[in-house]
This record gives sequence, C-alpha cells and structure tokens, in this order.
Amino acid sequence: MATLLQQLTSGLVLGALIALIALGYTMVYGIIQLINFAHGEVFMVSVFGALATYKWFIPQSWQGTWQIALPCMLVGAVLVAVVLAVLMERFAYRPLRNAPRLAPLITALGVSVMLKEFVRNFFPGATAAVSVPRAFVDKAITFAVPGGTVVIQSTGILLVVVSIIGAVLLQTYITRSRMGRAMRATAQDPDTARLMGVDPNRTIVLTFVIGGALAGLAAVLYGIHINTVDTEAGFLNGIFAFTAAVLGGVGSIKGAVIGGFTIGVIKTMAGQYFPGGTEYDLVWIFVLLIVVLVFRPQGLFGEPERVRA
Amino acid sequence: MNIPPGWSWLGQFLLYVAAGLLVIWLLVTGYRALARFLGGRPGLVRPLAIAGGVLAVVGALLPWVTFPLNDGPYPDLATLQFFDAPFAVTGFRLFTLITGVAAIALSFVPRIPVRRVLRALGLGLAGVALVNTIFPLIDGGGFGAITAADGAFAFGGIVTLVASLVLFFVSKAGDLEPLPRWNTKVPRLVAYAALLVSFLVLLFAVARLLNSGSDSGGGSTTYSGPIFLSLLVFFAGLFGALHAIGFAGWLSAVSDDHKLFSVLVLLLAALALPFTEAGTDYWMTIAANIGVYAATAIGLNIVVGLAGLLDLGYVAFLGIGAFVAANLSGAAAAEFHIHLPFVVAALVSATVAGVFGAIVGSPTLRVRGDYLAIVTLAFGEIFKKAAQNNIGGLTGGANAIPGVPPISWFGASFDESFTIGGVQLPSGVLYYVLIIVLVSVVMLVFANLKNSRIGRAWIAIREDEDAARAMGIKTGQAKILAFLIGATLAGLAGSVFAHKTSTVAYDSFQFPESVTLLAAVILGGMGTIPGAVIGASLLLILPEKLRDFSDYRLLLFGLALVLIMRFRPQGIVPDRHRRAELAGEAEGGVPIEELNVPDSPQGATR
Repeated sequence: MATLLQQLTSGLVLGALIALIALGYTMVYGIIQLINFAHGEVFMVSVFGALATYKWFIPQSWQGTWQIALPCMLVGAVLVAVVLAVLMERFAYRPLRNAPRLAPLITALGVSVMLKEFVRNFFPGATAAVSVPRAFVDKAITFAVPGGTVVIQSTGILLVVVSIIGAVLLQTYITRSRMGRAMRATAQDPDTARLMGVDPNRTIVLTFVIGGALAGLAAVLYGIHINTVDTEAGFLNGIFAFTAAVLGGVGSIKGAVIGGFTIGVIKTMAGQYFPGGTEYDLVWIFVLLIVVLVFRPQGLFGEPERVRA
Repeated sequence: MNIPPGWSWLGQFLLYVAAGLLVIWLLVTGYRALARFLGGRPGLVRPLAIAGGVLAVVGALLPWVTFPLNDGPYPDLATLQFFDAPFAVTGFRLFTLITGVAAIALSFVPRIPVRRVLRALGLGLAGVALVNTIFPLIDGGGFGAITAADGAFAFGGIVTLVASLVLFFVSKAGDLEPLPRWNTKVPRLVAYAALLVSFLVLLFAVARLLNSGSDSGGGSTTYSGPIFLSLLVFFAGLFGALHAIGFAGWLSAVSDDHKLFSVLVLLLAALALPFTEAGTDYWMTIAANIGVYAATAIGLNIVVGLAGLLDLGYVAFLGIGAFVAANLSGAAAAEFHIHLPFVVAALVSATVAGVFGAIVGSPTLRVRGDYLAIVTLAFGEIFKKAAQNNIGGLTGGANAIPGVPPISWFGASFDESFTIGGVQLPSGVLYYVLIIVLVSVVMLVFANLKNSRIGRAWIAIREDEDAARAMGIKTGQAKILAFLIGATLAGLAGSVFAHKTSTVAYDSFQFPESVTLLAAVILGGMGTIPGAVIGASLLLILPEKLRDFSDYRLLLFGLALVLIMRFRPQGIVPDRHRRAELAGEAEGGVPIEELNVPDSPQGATR
C-alpha cells in the first residue's frame, strides 16, 4: 500500500512536469499543425540556462538564498527558452510554412539534434550529467500511511501546484483574452483570421513564446527537483510530453494536463509492477501511445479530424 | 561584492554579436552595391577575368604560412621554406595556379558562357583559399600564422581569396548567359566513348579524393582534413565549370539514352576501385560500411522518399537483420548454436526484418504523417531498450555478440587478401564486391518498384492520401508494403553488416544512426536512386577525413538538415517530379502552392 501510494505520488510529480512541457507541444500543434520536435530540447537547453544563471550570473553570496536564486534562475531559463523558440520559429519554421508537410518536420528534427549537440559541445562539463542546486526549501515531507510512509519533496509539491496554476491561467488566457481569441481563430482558419484583422505571424510567434515560457518554467522546476541534468533530458521528456499531448488530444489544454498526469503515473507504476521494471517503463508508454493513436487518434479530449472537401 | 563572471561574458558576447551583425550588414550592402555597379558594364568581363587570374597566380606563388605549424610543416611547402624550392608547386597551390591560368585563358575563348564558368571556378577557388587560410589560423594559433614572422608576410591565402572574389564578380558584369544545350543525338560509339572516359575519370578522381592527405595505408594524417577539403572544393569548382559549359547536362542526357551501358560501366568502375590507389584495407572497410548504409538508406528512401512516411527509427531494422544473422552464424555467444550458410541467414534476416517492418507499419492504417513519425521513433527506442537488456538472450546486451565468423564461400574466407593478375588486393575486397552486388540489387529493386504500379501508388499517397484513395489505390496495403519492403532491404544489409564487423552491439543502432540515414536520404535527394548512395558516401567519408571535427559531427548534421530543407529541399540529386514540386514552381511557371489544396484541413484538430 505504501509502495503504491509512493509511486502514485512520484508519478503525479513527474506528470506535472510532463504536463508543463506538453502544453508547449499542444499549443504549437494546435495552431500550425507542426510537431515541434525541438520543444523537448528547448526545455533541456533552458535547464542549462537556469544552471548557467545560477553559476555565473548570481553573486556567490546570494547563491544560498533561494528567495533570490530561484527567481533569477526562472528569469534566465524563461529568457533562454523564449529566445530559442522565437528564433526557431522565425528562421526554421516560418520559411517552410507552405512547404510539403515533411519539410518542417525534418527541420524540427534537425533543430533538435543541433540544440542537443550544441549544449553537449559547448556547455562546460555537459558531456556527462551536471548537478543542479536545489534552490528551494530543502525539505522532504513524510506522511504516515498504512504499512509505511510516503515521502514527497517540497520541490515536488511546488511542481504540481505551479503546473496546475499555469494550466488554469493559460486556459483562461486563451478563452477570455483578445490575443487568445486571435489564437483560436488562427488555429481554425488562418486566412479568414487574417481577413478579420488578426496578424497570423504575430499570433504564431506569441504561441511559440508562451510554449517556450512554459518550457522554461518546467526547466527550472525540473532542475531544482531532480538536481541533475544531462543532454538526454530533452529527448525523453519531450517524447513523454508529446505522448501526453496526443493522449489528451492535441490542441486541448485540459487534455495535455490530464495526459501528462496519466503518463507520469503510468511510468512509475509500470516501473514498479510491470514485467521488466524500470528498464522497460518507457516501452509501456509507447505501447499506450500506439494504442491511443490507432483506436482514438483524436485523443481523449480532441475533436475528431474532419475531412474537408 | 564582485561582479559574477557571467555578466562580463554576456557583455562580451553581445558585443561580438553586434560586431558580427555589423560585418554581415556591410558585406551584404557591399555585395549589392558592387553587383549593381557591375550590372550595366558587360565590357568588364575580360579585364576582371584577367585581373582575377593574375591575382590567383600571384597568390599561388606567395607563401601561405609564416612558420611550420606545431604538427609539422603545413603541407605542400606552403610555409616560407617554399622559397628554398620555388618550382615545386603541388597540392592546393597547384589548384590555385591552374584556376588562375584557366581564368585568363578562358576569357579569350569565344562562344562559351564565360560568366557561368568563372563563377564556378571562383567559388571553388574561394573554397580552396578559405580552407587553407582558416586551417593554419586555427591550428597555428591565430593571425601570427599568416601575418608577420621575421619580417615576412604570408598573404598567399588573402590574395587568393581576393582573386576568387574578383572571378566570382565576373558573373555580375552583365547578364548571365543561358545554359548551353548540346546536341544529344550523337553516334552510339561517340556516346559510349564519352561515357567510358567520363566514368574512368570519375573513378580516378574518387580514388584520389579518398586517398588525399592519407598515409601509405590510407589512414588519416594530421593534415588530411584541409588537403581533402581543398581537393574536394577544387573538384567541385571544376564540375561546376563543366556544368556551365553544358557538358554535364549533355552527359546526363546521353547516359539516360544509353542507360544499360552506363549502368554497366558504372558497375565496372565501382568494382575497379580496389585496383586504384584507394585499394587499401582501410578504404575497403569504409567502403563496405558505406555500402551497408547506402543499401539501408535506399530502403528508407522507399518509405520516406516515395511513400512520404517519415520513419525515425529505421536503423532498428538494420539492427534486427544484424542480430538475426549473428545468431545464425554459429558465433559462440549466439543464442542458437547453428551455422547456416550466409545466403540462407541473409534471407532469414531480411524476412524477419520485413515482418517487423510490417508490424511497425501497421499503425499507418490509422495514423497520419506526423503521428507516424513519433510511432516509429518509439519503435526505435523500444528496440534499443530491448537490445540493451539482452531480450531473450538474443542480443548479448552490453556484451554484444562478438566473434561472428567472416563469410566464407568455397573455402575462401571473405576477410583475406587476394592476388589477381599480380596485383595484391587488400583484405576485405571480397566484402567490398559482395556489398557492391548488394547495393546493385537493392538499387534494381528500388528502380523497378519506383516505376511500377505500386511505386506510382506510393507517390500518389505521398502527394495526397485522400485523392489517392479516391483514385482506387488501396492506401493501407500500399503503405504497409512500403514499410515491409524497406525493412526487408535494411535487414539484408544488416546481415552483411554482422559478418563484416564481426561484433554486433546494440549501440550501433541508436537514434543518431537513424538521423544519419535520414540525412543521407535527404542530402542525396528524396526519392532518387543515386541520391541515397551519394548521401551515405558523403556522410561516412567526411567524418573519416575530418577527424578534428568529429565532436561536431551531429551538430553539423542537424544544421545540414535545417539548411537543406530551407534552401535545397530536393537534395543534391533532385527527383524530376519532386524538383518541380519542392522548388515551388511547376514547369509552366505556376507556383505549385497555388495548385495545392492543403492536405489536412487546418483547425480540424481544435
């Protein structure tokens, strides 16, 4: 019982992280129908951005005070992620907006390989795992449950809370604000949106900015929670996040969050109880992905794809 | 409190970025102004060509480096010691000299498109100059390598760079000539002779290129990178010039008319490579690897290039083929202790890989384009995980399966060396021949499929799946067949790979390898036969020659993928249909986008 609850808790924390990244995938796909492969790498690069901010941009005397260090890392990571996302959109994806669909997909793959190799080659020490400081209340909270205890890190709680608040704010922004309406209009029909006075380029850039900012947020939380990062972090977490977005229905905020939590819980549960253990936990996620794609391609909360004449 | 080190770094970084932007702006503005100035002055062609040629000759004779670099004297007497032996002009200095003399001579030849020719030669020369200026700068530790030492200057590189720019700007003086079209209705014998000579020249050029800057065994030396690159850009310049005078186009048209003959000659030329200077153990091994990758890339080309289904875990099929073959080879570490003849093992490997291909492809019945990419990526990861954990004892896990015996037919082991007609052939030459045969078979399969009913069905699916279905194509069957056939070819290549490398380990079949294969297909040209081979060759030879950059290999791959998609989505060898489609213009000049209806209704997902 205690093991089950412990795995459930870890799964929810992991799920919160995946959900934050999945929001970026789902928003970009929703508006320009592009799987932004490189989004996972943007997340990874911003973890390193947060780390660089901590190491080289905060005076040593302040590094121990998380009330200062954490906001600074957040600014650094979000800045890195947003700049990357905007550059990517401007120079890699925008020129290909009318190209055959394979072209931007391959470009996205290229960008993702490039970002990963760039960090591996040029960030000091990034050829191996690099440790990240726990710039938050360093405390593990223990609950007594029947048959043992469940431990949750303070950073884990922070992750879950921030993730849910972020998703709610984003949902509100998209449904209530003027720019949110522009985004939905562009997603539905860019040409008509343009006739209605919406600037599609601006709207798309804004989408990338929001997705990047969320990835930056996720990056800082990941760094202070896991306390270590390597260049592989983007690839796997990106795949998980993408799976979450697909599971929930690409384009749906609610779907991305619920998909994220589902994936997180399945990963930890599979690692504990399924044959093969943690070595094969990602296999079960992929099996789930394939099953969902085959039997309900629109995901749990997506609308079925209509074929227009 | 001190300022943390990052801030001063950031300041410097921003300064450099600003300086870089300024330089780029200056270059662009200068280029435009110069082009505008020259545009109305076609009379400047000859003076510019002569000036550029003279500069190039002068550049060739000036020293390029002021002192011997740390790794020994820079090759081809480029250092000041050149003046001890003034008549020994070799290597890149020779290329510079040839380009310069050719530029002067060509400016007096009537009825050739001088602007086009000199543009190609100029770009080639610019490459030579840049490689041989930048390399000493990096390796020699800064500008000291080319500026003053003992009061002497080594401005050869800079003068040559200026010469190349002058030659390039010849093309801006007046309008570019149209590409000349030669008469392709030539007598059969003339055509045969032209093809034979061209392919022979190609063979020797390739052999020279492979061995440039190598030691006697063919392995890389300190300076093989710049020497190889110099020769490569020089050849590229020459080829550009041949293209400009219309020869390349003529040759390709003639070889199209005499397809069978050119294929035979090309095959013979490939088989003759071991007899040239590139016939070393080292290059036979590399060539065999290229062959394995090329065969796999052609398989991938069916899936990506023809059917338009992006597969990101393709190397798994190569791995499946290799592991099956290793297990059936009688290796001590194998799970089955049976030793099947190679041909049987290869067929079994191909079949097993094909079955897996069909299984992986089966979601394509329901899953569309982008999602399929993720499914295949997931499959690749599952394969890696399974192989890493030694699933069923079949893969050896981290220990791999070592000791796969070499193929042996009629008592001849494939890894031995041979003597034919008094010529000592390198070991591994039989593998090379086997792989040439393999690649030829795979090419034949591809060519026939492409022009068959199923090939047209694939292309129709790639263009518009709904329309293809409406035309009566069974899209599901066709897509699974694409996966099945592609995977079968990869499995076949994998069985050769297992015997050639003798150790089959899971880490030869990971995501970067899949990216390499995809890059080979895209670089060479999607949907074309020579494309995948050329792409695979480039992607495997370049890392061998540019060992200094091996850390940046994947970085450059990624950059290459982005740049190719942006500027030349049709690849090095464009497919005839695809060229029209991707370049944005159909033959009649109507942008293809205006004819296309988006293949998925936008907004349907929200």
